[in-house]
Amino acid sequence: MSLHVVFTLAGVEYALPVAAVLQMETFAGATFVPGAPAYVAGIVTVRGLVVPVIDLRVRFGLPPAELTTDTRIIVTEAQGRVVALRVDTAREVLQLDIEKHQPAPSVVSERASGFVQAIHALGPRLLLLVDLPKILGEKSHDHSPLLLDDDGAKARPQLPG
Amino acid sequence: MTEILVVDDSKVMRDMIVACLRAIPDTSFVHASSGLEAIERLSLAPFDLLVLDLNMPDIGGIEVLEFVRGQDTLRALPVLIVTTRGDDQSRERVMQAGATGFLPKPFTPDSIIAEVRAILTGRAESVA
Amino acid sequence: MTAPADLREFISAYLVEAEEHLAVANTQLLAVEAAQRSGSTNPRAVRETFRSLHTIKGLSAMVGVEPIVAIAHRMESFLRDFDRSGGTIPPRAIDALLKGVRAIEHRVTALGRGDSAAPPSDELLTELDSMGLAAGPIARMPEASLNLDPAILAKLAPFEVDQIFRGISQGMRALRAEFSPSPARAAEGLTINSVRERVATVADIVRVLPRATPITPDSPGGLSFVLLLLTRATNEVLVQAGGLAASAFHSIAREVTEADAALQPSIAEVLTNSADDQSFDTQTRRGVVRVDVNRLDEAMEGLSALIVTRFRLVRSIAAMNERGVNTRELSQIMTENSRQLRDLRAALVRVRMVPVSELLERVPLLVRGLCRATNRAVRLELEGGSAELDKSVSERLFPVIVHLVRNAVDHAIESPDERLRRGKPEEGLLRITCSARGSAHLEITISDDGRGIDRAAVAQKAGRTSPSDNADLLGLLCIPGLSTREIASTTSGRGMGMEIVKRTVVDELGGELEVASELGVGTTFTLRVPLTISIVDAFSFECGEQRFVVPVSMVDEIIEVDPSGVVHVPANDDGSPSVDIISRRGVAVPMIQLSQVFRLQPGAKASPKAIIVRRAGAPIAFAVDRMLGQQEVVIRPVNDVLVRAPGVSGATDLGDGRPTLVLDLVALSVSLNALPHALGASR
Repeated sequence: MSLHVVFTLAGVEYALPVAAVLQMETFAGATFVPGAPAYVAGIVTVRGLVVPVIDLRVRFGLPPAELTTDTRIIVTEAQGRVVALRVDTAREVLQLDIEKHQPAPSVVSERASGFVQAIHALGPRLLLLVDLPKILGEKSHDHSPLLLDDDGAKARPQLPG
Repeated sequence: MTEILVVDDSKVMRDMIVACLRAIPDTSFVHASSGLEAIERLSLAPFDLLVLDLNMPDIGGIEVLEFVRGQDTLRALPVLIVTTRGDDQSRERVMQAGATGFLPKPFTPDSIIAEVRAILTGRAESVA
Repeated sequence: MTAPADLREFISAYLVEAEEHLAVANTQLLAVEAAQRSGSTNPRAVRETFRSLHTIKGLSAMVGVEPIVAIAHRMESFLRDFDRSGGTIPPRAIDALLKGVRAIEHRVTALGRGDSAAPPSDELLTELDSMGLAAGPIARMPEASLNLDPAILAKLAPFEVDQIFRGISQGMRALRAEFSPSPARAAEGLTINSVRERVATVADIVRVLPRATPITPDSPGGLSFVLLLLTRATNEVLVQAGGLAASAFHSIAREVTEADAALQPSIAEVLTNSADDQSFDTQTRRGVVRVDVNRLDEAMEGLSALIVTRFRLVRSIAAMNERGVNTRELSQIMTENSRQLRDLRAALVRVRMVPVSELLERVPLLVRGLCRATNRAVRLELEGGSAELDKSVSERLFPVIVHLVRNAVDHAIESPDERLRRGKPEEGLLRITCSARGSAHLEITISDDGRGIDRAAVAQKAGRTSPSDNADLLGLLCIPGLSTREIASTTSGRGMGMEIVKRTVVDELGGELEVASELGVGTTFTLRVPLTISIVDAFSFECGEQRFVVPVSMVDEIIEVDPSGVVHVPANDDGSPSVDIISRRGVAVPMIQLSQVFRLQPGAKASPKAIIVRRAGAPIAFAVDRMLGQQEVVIRPVNDVLVRAPGVSGATDLGDGRPTLVLDLVALSVSLNALPHALGASR
């Protein structure tokens, strides 16, 4: 049995082990960072640290949403990196029996399946357990040069002449 | 080359004095930050002029002056006293102790140059 | 004939020395006061104070700061009389002297800012002029009891003779050592300065006197120095330490005879009245160099430029590699270079470090003043340790510490009566400790044994529910404008509130703040700050509805853009940004719209500005919407791979709690690499 934070995106419930969570904060917007991938909302300051914010809706291929008073960021730590995840709500912390985790069927959208590593049935509720390292991305990330094409794909790299 | 020993416990003060006197050609400067260090340097190498502050931590300028005048080898060394105490009484005391020149602070670059020139040419004349 | 020297150029060096002397004056005046409070005197401290003020007066006169001369003159002439005659300085005069020191400090700070020094108020001058003399000279010791050449004895000041006797009565050995300088000894490193330093590690040096000697091979300069010492060390230790021969040491304490025994009680009586000799050896030379913090910043900027160049080299090498050139050796050299740059950065960062004691050395004076004003009795315990921190961090922390100390003395610690009623000792305790936490952080605790924080009262005042834990309590305390006292006291209630403490420590410095408090027992504030941070002077500006910041040192010029003078070069097909050309003093300068580079909506710019930087000597302009201002900013790293971008060298907080990007426009222009095309097309 271990504690998990439960959050929602577009009405679907997800869960994340508390061990990876540093804190949860309200979210009023992040500072834009040029050249960052489309799913990065920007940076915020948390406890003196400058932390990137991943918009999980965009990451999971869901349509983006407006900010509400329920919007939260979950500040996570994994593989030495501190990254915040923007979610629609984050209200509960539950004890889950990890024995009861099951592999994820392809119920969720194509893009999100890479990020969900298991599902957990809790009575009538279905909680999707996320793969945090996958969400945060590989350590060696390709720099996207500053000018992105409209669909978010990378432009041709510019080399010094 | 005119060897000048500049003695004052304030580095800023020493730097200012050197900055003023550099205008005189063929001068070379050595710094000492205390009376004791000054006496030590005087005993080990010859100098043409001693520029000396009165207010110093270990021994005061007057004592240095008295020591210098008490040594055969240093008796003729020109000594310019530079001091904040510009009153007549201090000047009397300093000249009686054997100073060659007396310059109260604050002084202008021109005035210290004039004093030093006067002392050095006076010396050249008396030697000749 | 070269131009005459301009002594006003020495102002900044003068300010540094003046500050040092003022610190000495403060410490020594407090020592005099402490001695007098316990019924004795401290003539050495009086002399040190006199000398410091005398020096300040002389230097101030040379650089032409009349107001400081006026204040220092009155103080030093008063102290000179005391230095000569001894005696007790009346408390009123000590207050006036401390006021004088503060008045000079304010003016030194003003000059450091580039303002002028205000003439002293009539009030201050009157107070300084009316310091009176009190009490007579202290009893002189019977010098005949010392085995010393009368000529040497005559040169000793009464307090020095006093010091020797006291030392003897405390069981120390009174010795006379002799050192003759020579070229040979100087070559070995034995000079009067080095011998003094070395001997001072194992003995108290009472006085050093020069003595003329006949010229001998051992004393080729006809000079020797007599050192009068007090020590508990054996001759062997002295010889080892001082580098002098054993034969150089002689005892100057005479054997006590019957006749002397009769004198003993009276000597003992007078000795117990004399001050503890606080050996503030203000003349220790530590091999320290005073450096202007601006020069350190310049050095750091130079290093940043080196790093940008390295970035370009790496990309060039990558390009060569892609073309099939064997770049192995070059890559290895770049790795080495990278390591060297890291080492250099570390060294520069170390240079900016100042000891934590510098932060704390003003606190005793502050506490003293607060106790007076509030009629409290407070004992101050300071534990600084040997930690060091960046000078800019130290400067920002100081007002924070002042505020917390004020809170402790004014709000927390109870009056002596109340404390007694509560069974506490009459004197309150204020304890400040600094210790390193790991290799990158400093922890400062400020704790008092006062009344503790009343959570219910704070909650009520804030209109919230009672805090559940310390973190909540801190949150409540930091609400802007919160004060639990109905009446603003004279010492607190003005100036910084806790909210600003939190802002400085957490937001600006990237540290942590914690409180722990127990009602009736006391309160402890804990601050954790990083030891080193990067602080630069920066311009803030707006572009595409976003705020950004660029370091001042990188900026060549900021100009107004005249829209009619802009030549537009059409964009190339390869997607690189369009470039405009503007004319600056007859020279064509390429200009890039920053909003376009960042793909931001350009703001409605009535009078656009352009920031000009230089890349490899050639100027490039970045057009922005408007300039906002200039300030010192703390740069926090933006390291995560997700947000690493060329041109972004970090983030800072401009005071709104949100990160603002710090741009490296030179690196940005390097990465864009569109300019040769533009310039080529314009020909």
